[in-house]
Amino acid sequence: MTAPDPRPQALLTVRDLRTYFHTDAGIARAVDGVSFDVMPRETIGIVGESGCGKSVTSLSIMRLIRPPGVIEAGSRVELEGRNLLELPEHEMRRIRGNRVAMIFQEPMTSLNPVFTVGEQIAEVARVHANASRREAWDRAVEMLQLTGIPSPAERAKEYPHQLSGGMRQRVMIAMALMMNPSLLIADEPTTALDVTIQAQILELLQQIQERFAMSIILITHDLGVIAEMAQRVLVMYAGEIVERASVGDLFAHPHHPYTEGLLAAMPTLGAARTRLAVIPGTVPAPTRWPPGCRFHDRCPHAWERPEREHPPLFEVGPSHWSRCFLAEEPDRRRVITRSEDRVGETR
Amino acid sequence: MTLASWLVPLAVAIVATAAISRAWASAGTNGGPWGTAFNRLRRNRGGMLALGFILFVAAVALLARLLAPFDPNHQLDIVALASRPPSLAYPFGTDIYSRDVLSRVVYGARISLSIALLAVAVSITVGTTYGAIAGYIGGRTDAIMMRVIDALLSIPRILILLAILALWGRVSLGALVLILGLTGWFGTSRLVRAQVLALKAEDMVLAAHALGARGRRILLRHILPGVTSTIVVAATLGIGNVITLEAGLSFLGVGVRQPTASWGNIISDASANYAGLWWISLFPGLAIVLTVMAFNIVGDALRDALDPREIQPA
Repeated sequence: MTAPDPRPQALLTVRDLRTYFHTDAGIARAVDGVSFDVMPRETIGIVGESGCGKSVTSLSIMRLIRPPGVIEAGSRVELEGRNLLELPEHEMRRIRGNRVAMIFQEPMTSLNPVFTVGEQIAEVARVHANASRREAWDRAVEMLQLTGIPSPAERAKEYPHQLSGGMRQRVMIAMALMMNPSLLIADEPTTALDVTIQAQILELLQQIQERFAMSIILITHDLGVIAEMAQRVLVMYAGEIVERASVGDLFAHPHHPYTEGLLAAMPTLGAARTRLAVIPGTVPAPTRWPPGCRFHDRCPHAWERPEREHPPLFEVGPSHWSRCFLAEEPDRRRVITRSEDRVGETR
Repeated sequence: MTLASWLVPLAVAIVATAAISRAWASAGTNGGPWGTAFNRLRRNRGGMLALGFILFVAAVALLARLLAPFDPNHQLDIVALASRPPSLAYPFGTDIYSRDVLSRVVYGARISLSIALLAVAVSITVGTTYGAIAGYIGGRTDAIMMRVIDALLSIPRILILLAILALWGRVSLGALVLILGLTGWFGTSRLVRAQVLALKAEDMVLAAHALGARGRRILLRHILPGVTSTIVVAATLGIGNVITLEAGLSFLGVGVRQPTASWGNIISDASANYAGLWWISLFPGLAIVLTVMAFNIVGDALRDALDPREIQPA
């Protein structure tokens, strides 16, 4: 008898996920060898700038990549032990919205303007559970209630444009919850909302996660949201994971220079009035990732080695990984002063 | 048979227009995008007037038996009553065969309107299906399907029609409807395809996919409703277009054949002497112009009311 695996079984296992877009301008390697696990009931955050591959990663998990995008052979996405990438399309349809649900950044454009929100929420149960109109509607109202919408039975009869942005996002969440999924992918769920509404929606996500025992993949470029919600973080840059750590570790001891840059760029309440730090430059075009370390041309510490050699993920602490040669050559790390950036202190 | 009987279609048109207006007003209060659009249409005076006129013409067509003073094909008296100018007894005059022109125009409304309606129904159905399939599948299928449309659109419709009808000889009304319908859908399919292509890229379609909806459901529930306004406008303008086409073909003698009256072939009854027999061509001509104009005005009003930029107030 073999010893039982001491680690709990992962809900979702992503291994060497590569999603390439075969365009006329060349092959865009939008997601290029991403691996991670999502544990049951865990919230995992994915952060990074626009164009770093966060959204393509989530769409790849759902297999919603459209041509010319292709999930390359050898990639694996296992949900509850089944490789989703090998399922026939009709079985994959039974997973979407049922075992894995997704909510998007802009709830207005994600909702159909010509149907009431109740009809749209109910549609999920009609697609997946073959529910009768009546049952589906009742469940839709129940879900709306759960998301904290006042007088849900009346609201269900309204059209998307009659609701506020926060309420629309609650509607999207209600749709996602209809079939009690084990994994919820939230792609920038609060980016389009006011700050006050944002806090409400995040709190709602936490409540329903507890209640439905779901795992959440939270995609955002807002580290503040990550700090509030997630247990573990993946930092993505140029189609790769550059740092993977628990939230506490990441904020206390960021290792990768890109992560440092992101943290430095966060505004802090009560700090001296300083110009926000920025990471110079932009994410390079996905058709032409730089050779070597993909961040080297924007990195304040870069030397010759990352220009030539592509760094693997180094374990820099317990369950803390970083794709940076500084793990092997820590003396190369320079002290970055930001004194020259300070403005307005004397005011 | 008296003047008073004309009050019936007039009353029908007024009552129906008022009822439609009322229905649209109440539809506007539930907040749905269609209700909002029709409520906007309701406030367009010109559009509602034109709609009222169309309803009037439709009522006349339906009540032709009641309104026409004579059998439209009956020659009253080929010696005494041929080519009489308008008078109290024959308000639109009589034609060279001594048939009552008013009766022919009234019965002609039946033929001209029903041919136009049915032909547009055919062309909209075919065009929408073809365009939706091309747009939704996309890729090479779309490219091939659209090159076919380009080829078909490069031939003037009137030439195709004349060629078919001249070769066919005498066609039944059903065949005429089919021929008009099947030559009229190319433009519609292009419009629908463009719209489907745009809607396919919308977040809401991605969201529907993410919820596990299948392609057919997405096409029917999330894409086609967005195309409906385009279709409604194209259909309305198409009816006016087909009325003109049918009139032209009938005038040329290859559309609706004698003795059956259609607005187009009544005009050609005056071909011996248009100036001298002005009443034979004037009244059916007016019927064509006013009806086509009404359809175009309603089509424009619909286009304004259903403008997608206004259909979903943010």
